[in-house]
Amino acid sequence: MRLLTHNMLSSNIKGVANGFPLLIEVEKVIEKQVDFNPDFLKNIFPKIEWQALVQASRSMGYSELPEESPESSMLDSDDFLMKFHHVLLELHLEEGALVCPETGRKFPVNKGIPNMLLHEDEV
Amino acid sequence: MKESPRCDSCTRFTVCTHRSDFFILSGRKKEKRLSDIQSEMSACLRPSLLPAPPPAPTWRSSLLFGVSSFSRKLITRASSTTSTTTMSDAAARELKEGIAEFYDESSSLWEDIWGDHMHHGFYEPDSSVSVSDHRAAQVRMIEETLRFAGVSEDPTKRPKNVVDVGCGIGGSSRYLAKKFGAKCQGITLSPVQAQRANALAAARGLADKVSFQVGDALQQPFPDGQFDLVWSMESGEHMPDKSKFVSELARVTAPAGTIIIVTWCHRDLAPSEESLQPWEQELLKKICDAYYLPAWCSTADYVKLLQSLSLEDIKAEDWSQNVAPFWPAVIHSALTWKGFTSLLRTGLKTIKGALAMPLMIEGYQKNLIKFAIITCRKPR
Repeated sequence: MRLLTHNMLSSNIKGVANGFPLLIEVEKVIEKQVDFNPDFLKNIFPKIEWQALVQASRSMGYSELPEESPESSMLDSDDFLMKFHHVLLELHLEEGALVCPETGRKFPVNKGIPNMLLHEDEV
Repeated sequence: MKESPRCDSCTRFTVCTHRSDFFILSGRKKEKRLSDIQSEMSACLRPSLLPAPPPAPTWRSSLLFGVSSFSRKLITRASSTTSTTTMSDAAARELKEGIAEFYDESSSLWEDIWGDHMHHGFYEPDSSVSVSDHRAAQVRMIEETLRFAGVSEDPTKRPKNVVDVGCGIGGSSRYLAKKFGAKCQGITLSPVQAQRANALAAARGLADKVSFQVGDALQQPFPDGQFDLVWSMESGEHMPDKSKFVSELARVTAPAGTIIIVTWCHRDLAPSEESLQPWEQELLKKICDAYYLPAWCSTADYVKLLQSLSLEDIKAEDWSQNVAPFWPAVIHSALTWKGFTSLLRTGLKTIKGALAMPLMIEGYQKNLIKFAIITCRKPR
């Protein structure tokens, strides 16, 4: 599961007011190489919740992403874009869990696939 | 966001790196269906990403949507249902998905041309019909149906809780809510329709009385005996297990409540007949393919099912003569410039359905297809 995915997911358990972002419990992280595409990164940037991405990258063991949300000028810097690219697309959570920030409920991640199925009483 | 719909090189949930946007492709590529994606994903997406209500036909097959790329899949749906059907579970599931997709694709066009209601109009036999009359005819169908079923308009006796099984975009529900002041709940397999139905209800100030959800008529998401009027207007033909369909209708009916089924059937079999003639079966099969219909049954079969559940006051009538002008009227509307161009902008499923219309006419003319109404009451 890429951090791009993680950035989109939220815990929608019944009664939970704010299920985003999910906390990450890491068991196994792998790195996969992905072709660098600056246009894509520039377009996807506005859709990303930056703080959530930074926090997530830290839990995955990467600390080089700037904490403050970058200004648009940063998007022209290749240096920045490469870090953004790495965090967003190349870091994968293979095994672990996503944790609901309110209830602590864990959504397991196995073989890179998060299981977001809610139980009957959570719907 | 850019306007163009699909990327032909990407598949499934994918980031289209050609356009640097996200596209989810339609079922055209036999990957995830839009409706599947919408319902699965919305269950776990952060609120700021939830999709907007479905727009006009050209866009329906693509949705600008923030989604994971290359994450293969998210497990958001438990595997197969437990409904007991005479079809294999896999076939039943495929049928349900086909139905949902068909209506997801066609609903907008139909609404555009025909309005609220997705059922036949009721006409005097042999009347010639103008396309401008069709909406009034569809309302007449509802009124005649209520009359046949003996539903009272008396404020002390009229229905208060209605379920619309196979509700489409909610035309019947909204009509009944307005007419009787009743609360109505509708179920449909099509998420696009459910969403649209709710939107229309809200727009008409009926959101406190009518609500719609995605649901399976063979496993209705309601407790026993909840409704005093159980309404199935032209949805029965989609049910692969008529017996389960009817018993669910009966289950959710309150004591003394009324069940109304208006549906397409094939002619009753003669006492000596075991099945329809081969040519009849062939014609029905072609229609089934186009409209995502499972095997047909006869009006008599429905009556037998209702009898087996000890329901009372069972009445059935053949209204084929009263709907005969309907299909020519539909074809007429399709052949107008607006109809034609709109059709071109929907999708293959809708077009296939449109091309099958003459088959329906043939079926009626050859006395094979019957438009039937069957009603009954649950004992006190």
